[in-house]
Amino acid sequence: MSQPVPEPLVQYLSFFIAGEEYALRILQVREIVEYEAVTRVPSAPEWIRGVTNLRGSVLPVVDLGMKLGFPPSVVHRRSCIVVVEVTFQGERLVMGVLVDAVGQVLELGSGDVEPPPAFGTPIHADYLVGLGRAGKKFILLLDIDRVLNAQEIRAASAVTTEPPPESPPPPEAPPAGAEAGEPQA
Amino acid sequence: MKTDLDTVRAAFRAEATELLAGLERDLLSLERSAAPGVIESIQRSIHTLKGNSLLMGFPAASDVAHTLEDLLARIASRSLPVTQQVMTLLLQAVDGLRGLISHTPGEGREVPDVSELQRRLREAASAGCSSEASPAPESAAAEQPVEATSHAAPERTLRVGLDKLDRMLDLTGEIAIARGRLTTLLEQADRHSPQELLEAHREADRLYLDLQELVLKARMVPIGRAFQPFPRTLRDLCEATGKLVRLELSGEEVEVDTTIVELIRDPLTHLVRNAVDHGIEPPSVRKQRGKDFKGTLKLRAFADSGSIVVEVEDDGAGLDRERIRERARAMGLLGPNEEREDAELFQFIFIPGFSTAERVTELSGRGIGMDVVKSRVESLRGALSIETREGAGTTFTMRLPLMLSIIEGFSVGVGGETYVLPLASVLECVELPEEEQRPGRTGVLNLRGQPLPYLRLREHFAVEGPPPARESVVVIRHGRGQAGLAVDTLLGQGQTVVKPLGSLFQRVSGVSGSAILGTGRVALILDVAALLQKALRPYAPAAQ
Repeated sequence: MSQPVPEPLVQYLSFFIAGEEYALRILQVREIVEYEAVTRVPSAPEWIRGVTNLRGSVLPVVDLGMKLGFPPSVVHRRSCIVVVEVTFQGERLVMGVLVDAVGQVLELGSGDVEPPPAFGTPIHADYLVGLGRAGKKFILLLDIDRVLNAQEIRAASAVTTEPPPESPPPPEAPPAGAEAGEPQA
Repeated sequence: MKTDLDTVRAAFRAEATELLAGLERDLLSLERSAAPGVIESIQRSIHTLKGNSLLMGFPAASDVAHTLEDLLARIASRSLPVTQQVMTLLLQAVDGLRGLISHTPGEGREVPDVSELQRRLREAASAGCSSEASPAPESAAAEQPVEATSHAAPERTLRVGLDKLDRMLDLTGEIAIARGRLTTLLEQADRHSPQELLEAHREADRLYLDLQELVLKARMVPIGRAFQPFPRTLRDLCEATGKLVRLELSGEEVEVDTTIVELIRDPLTHLVRNAVDHGIEPPSVRKQRGKDFKGTLKLRAFADSGSIVVEVEDDGAGLDRERIRERARAMGLLGPNEEREDAELFQFIFIPGFSTAERVTELSGRGIGMDVVKSRVESLRGALSIETREGAGTTFTMRLPLMLSIIEGFSVGVGGETYVLPLASVLECVELPEEEQRPGRTGVLNLRGQPLPYLRLREHFAVEGPPPARESVVVIRHGRGQAGLAVDTLLGQGQTVVKPLGSLFQRVSGVSGSAILGTGRVALILDVAALLQKALRPYAPAAQ
């Protein structure tokens, strides 16, 4: 829906996982709900927390921290579920992402987004769209589709005939930071 | 604008697909006997299709239909006999039309090439009785359009009688009124007794249940729609294998949810191909064995206590017990001296990758395998069983629920979790006797003198929380035998609306879906067959 307005600002919603602030484009976010009554699904991958009732439909809930390689999130008072729309294995899907806390809404122009550095970030640069400048600190802009699909492929390494929906290689290869700028324009 | 055109095209496609299906059926019946009226019906269908195609911007389809009309006119005037070649050509033309219609004009994909088909149709229509097209291009032309068809995603539509929709609309209005009344009552809840409120709620509830039933009924379609392609499939198979098979259909009128019709087509196709390819013997062999040289394949459907049973029966050679045993041994599924009951031995054919190299042929080696048939049936909460007699034939029986969206469920509690079992699979509930209460994931219980293997859900699902003082066991139909599920509490039965878990949980086994409980929590619906099969097989004692 981008109109020919000069240099539109893109809105991001930030949240905290394992003490770090990440952000998603707000267009991917549907709503934020309280964390309650999540039913575990036995034999599902451990980073899938379970399913919960979102006004009568069944919403899968993912422990994003765990998916990123951190220990399982501990649910406390400020934990909540960010309901996002993602592409999972080529299919549009609505799912809940468990986060430690919701941060802020950011407005970033393209000048405020830096490509992710080759190293030094808490998660692999391939999972990042870039770094967003917010005041004095940088916020990690997450490529959530890549995150969700990547490990799935790694887990099932025997059957990697189907590449992830986007063409870039899976995150195993040590990349140069430049290529990750592609999905944001 | 574009979307409007898309909608119209979608409607055209749906109609054309139906026309072509009818056309195919008519052609096949024309091949069997030239009943009066059939050729006219075919001509009408083609004519309609020709006009509509041209109107909707499918000129190539219209051209093919036009040539087809010429050919049919000659058949109608009896100046061209309906030989097998002519019939094959006609059927290929139907395929070609399907391909052309599934193609969207202006889309990047190439229009299926039908020039060869056109040429042969014209030749057949103009030449004397020379329908002897060379066989080589025949197969080439036949394959192209078919391929194109498979690219197009099928339109998921359903025709519903207007009277049914009217009744639904009426009910929606009545529900709106009842709801309004309920709201008014609740706003002044302090002035009314709980009984009054409950009464008002029940009134609305009754209407709602009526609506639910109506909607579910509107989704019901005759299972015969799933059988429709088989006369044609069988004809092609016979031509390819040189076998002779008679198809007998019965129970086409039994109604099931439209999703089931859609989803059993693939497994059915596989079973039919399998039956012709492996089951039914070539005519010469059949004659030697003293059988009718023409094989019989029966597709049968009937309703049976809340389920539909679909059977594929052939009178062929039956499953080769020896070969299956050999293969199982080669795959390490069976010890060198180990023996199995027939029923158990035949279950091996459902294991992925089981089919032996020599069994893989042009026909059944590709597409979906037996393991996929089984998993598809199970994903529909159904069961698949085999009955075979050597030399006399094989019957595959699929038992499926009539409806997918709502089931009678039986709820059990384990720790803080609630699980729902399909009531149809529950036989009885017993208390786990104290002396049997050994810890562990599985165990065996003495049920009226018979050993009953059971699975403790608490351990199997690693549910946390203190174990209860007393456990109960739900006895469940498992294949031909029984098995138990040990749970903490029995919560009773009720209607359960099934919600699929979605693609994130594809690899999860033992769970077929989820349901939202009255408390707002999500409960999992267990896939009993898969659960027990996975959990008990290595532990189960030899079959009684």
